[in-house]
Amino acid sequence: METFALSEPVLLVLLSLAEQPRHGYSILKDIESMSGGGVLLSTGTLYGALQRLLENGWIERVEEDSTPRDRRTYRLTSRGRRNLQMEIERMRHLTKVAALRMARKEA
Amino acid sequence: MTLTVYRWMLCLYPGSYRGEIAEEMTSVFLDAQSTLPPALAAKISFYRREFCGLLSGALYAHFDRLFGPAIPFRRFDMQSQFRFPRSTVLLMLVIFAGTVLTIAKASSIAGARPGSVWPSFVSVGALMLLTMCTAAAVVVGILHALRRSGVYRLENVQGRMDSAESNGKP
Repeated sequence: METFALSEPVLLVLLSLAEQPRHGYSILKDIESMSGGGVLLSTGTLYGALQRLLENGWIERVEEDSTPRDRRTYRLTSRGRRNLQMEIERMRHLTKVAALRMARKEA
Repeated sequence: MTLTVYRWMLCLYPGSYRGEIAEEMTSVFLDAQSTLPPALAAKISFYRREFCGLLSGALYAHFDRLFGPAIPFRRFDMQSQFRFPRSTVLLMLVIFAGTVLTIAKASSIAGARPGSVWPSFVSVGALMLLTMCTAAAVVVGILHALRRSGVYRLENVQGRMDSAESNGKP
């Protein structure tokens, strides 16, 4: 079981791919739109994250003969989806605890 | 010009990594560059982000290659919204200008007084460079600690809460 916390770029890349398979530039634009323009990833950061996710088997390349080499598409694997779900659960738990703590503080 | 610099910086990555994704990264860089807003500040921010991203990406790629994925997904990547305070940039520029002027003045005095005890231009320059490198290392350390702690995020959240409250109460 992988219980480590994800970095923000990795989490955003996973969330972007959770909706549909995307290529690099589409992931960048989706993350920008998802965060309301607050998170602008560089290509270095994006491909660093993609490479690590590929190596860990969380995402995979969609192999199509028609796809040019400079515009390859990535999608979430079942392992990646499961781990993303676990991370969301972890964050949900954390926000619940945070809300409780804040409520106690205000009371 | 920027594309040449970008391709040159890609050479900093390990060979196997570069062969696999350099072409794709260049294509994404060109796509992002083509949709840049015309404002100069936006362009500077974009190129700074890209080139810093490449440097850190190359560093991590070499680190991973040497030591393996010891730290699977690093928390210290969380720095996307970090803003370097403008006042600090201005202060650093003033200090830099002062340093340059001091070196120039010291070297002119040393030149006017033969056999004086003033150190040579080279030794003063080397000392200044060493001091600046030490200061830069300290600043990078502080910024790294801030990014890890997420202090700036708390400030952002507090700012949003304050503005929401002020909007709610006329």
